[in-house]
Amino acid sequence: MHWVDDILNGLATATPSYRAGGSLAAEPLALAAMALGAHGRTADAARLCQALTSLASADGSVGIAAGQPTPGWPTGLAVLAWSGAGGAQTAAWREHAERGAAWLLATGGKSSPRSPGMGHDTTLRGWPWAEGTHSWLEPTIFGLLALKRTGRGDHARAREAVRLLIDRLLPDGGCNYGNTSVLGQLLRPHLAPSGLALAALAGERDESGRIERTIAYLERTLDRQTTSMSLAYGLIGLAAHDRSPPAADAWLQAASERGGREAAPFQRALLALAALKAECPLIFHKPISHQPS
Amino acid sequence: MQDIGVKVCEPACKPQPALDRRALLVGGGTAVAGALAYGWMKARRQTPTPVFVAKGQRYDGPIEQTIRDGLLACGLDPQRLAGRRVLLKVNLVEPTRTAPHMTTHPAMILAAAEVFRRWGASVAVGEASGHVRDTEMALVESGLAPVLDDARLEFVDLNYEDVAWVKNAGRASKLAGFFFPRAAMEADLIVSMPKLKTHHWVGVTASLKNMYGVLPGVKYGWPKNVLHHAGIPQTVFDINASLPKTIAVVDAILCMEGDGPIMGSPKRMGLIVAGLNPTAVDATCARLIGLEPARVNYLELSAGRLGPIADNAVIQRGERWREVASPFVILDRPELQRLRSPAPGVLTS
Repeated sequence: MHWVDDILNGLATATPSYRAGGSLAAEPLALAAMALGAHGRTADAARLCQALTSLASADGSVGIAAGQPTPGWPTGLAVLAWSGAGGAQTAAWREHAERGAAWLLATGGKSSPRSPGMGHDTTLRGWPWAEGTHSWLEPTIFGLLALKRTGRGDHARAREAVRLLIDRLLPDGGCNYGNTSVLGQLLRPHLAPSGLALAALAGERDESGRIERTIAYLERTLDRQTTSMSLAYGLIGLAAHDRSPPAADAWLQAASERGGREAAPFQRALLALAALKAECPLIFHKPISHQPS
Repeated sequence: MQDIGVKVCEPACKPQPALDRRALLVGGGTAVAGALAYGWMKARRQTPTPVFVAKGQRYDGPIEQTIRDGLLACGLDPQRLAGRRVLLKVNLVEPTRTAPHMTTHPAMILAAAEVFRRWGASVAVGEASGHVRDTEMALVESGLAPVLDDARLEFVDLNYEDVAWVKNAGRASKLAGFFFPRAAMEADLIVSMPKLKTHHWVGVTASLKNMYGVLPGVKYGWPKNVLHHAGIPQTVFDINASLPKTIAVVDAILCMEGDGPIMGSPKRMGLIVAGLNPTAVDATCARLIGLEPARVNYLELSAGRLGPIADNAVIQRGERWREVASPFVILDRPELQRLRSPAPGVLTS
């Protein structure tokens, strides 16, 4: 059996969780739904999309788990899952996706005047991890991808999110959780957020060259030993820019064979998504028109 | 539909009764209930408390013996730990193999685990990495992954654990309560195992600030920006006030000075600091690096409420701090420079 099939079979039966045997959580649930759907396992994806609706609040947001309606940062991922799912209930999920997108447009991170101690532009508004706090990298990526997926790639909030993400890339390429420099000290890049940022920035123009340098950072850093989450997001980011290391498939398979802490549905779903290369539902190759909304 | 049974603890959940620090003390005697016990605890927070300092320590040396001796010297009763659950809360904020002076050294973690295992406790290692979502990457970069595997030590990823809501017992910040991970609430004892470092916002980070890393990223973000917005000193105090069952073992062998807690430079101290009261331990750590504890905001908040910080209220076990102290480089910022201890002989009003 191909290793991806093995993963998909596991995703179809296990509780979507951050660790093997753990509790249901929205992020691994949405990722598993996307992976199953994109690999053609429509019925399995539909069941997970239905489960995702149980985590949605009346305002359209999706909390982190049952009984935990806040914070709502998984909403963008849920929108992606619902938007890509097929089957008989497509219309109902589209409605959930629309409500999620509306919630995203109604919320955002806390911006503040430029601070000399912070390297990034604190006036730009993306999305926060938790309501009432600053915008950070991954929630902004999830929000931006959701807007693009629901046809809102030209919306002012999406365009601002793109500016924010490019601004948060480090001058030499790569990014971390969302700080570039603090008190004049440049910070270090991390693989997973760098890959995710590249995925969200597919098709975007960048005069600064930071996107290209982020691609170079991933190409020289990813290898067979890279842990599952970082490997998957790194390869997804490269695929978003039509790059793929020759050994990528072998690296993914090797990661899929690891047990222990990396054998959780969360990491497994990411590996299955990375195996899709440019067909990964986290990637949008369509050019953005850049018209004001 | 497959079973996707939910195990999340609702906000109304309360932590299970667990061992408190008093019960761990040698000669704790007959349990004292109610108001009398509270009064005893309150008095303890204001009365002299032992802190152990060991010098000449190396990661390849007999640090298990040092940690054991230190905790015993501070009054820990090992018999009370048999069959109990101990959570070693380490610091893996943003591990990279290029900066081993940023995170708790694996040898310290293994040594502490062995100490508590030999006392009959079941031990888990836990962390909610503050800047890294890929926890396995954090474990690999810190060098902890092979140690966990070889020693068959459980690692609890506090970033993604089920949570329980606990009322904010400190109330220095506006936060009504905290979402603590299940592993922290179910542990009978949490051992804060930080790396001793400077901190560019609050001066010093040791066992109290290390408890930021108990809070799950899924609720508080990467970084834990909810806490920043509520005030760092205030939330450091509040978290520790709300997590009563903690002691401290500080990795002060290879430390970080300058632009800590992430980008600073290595500073070799060769020390292990331990104690049953994290506030007293951190006050000693501040003195060791040349800071005046009463000027560190979260220590000032904690003084007399979570533990003593006055020099004459900390009973030194092992080395005297004055003999092993070595001032750390502090960023040249007024709010940080004001934390420095007065130079010997300088009169202060």
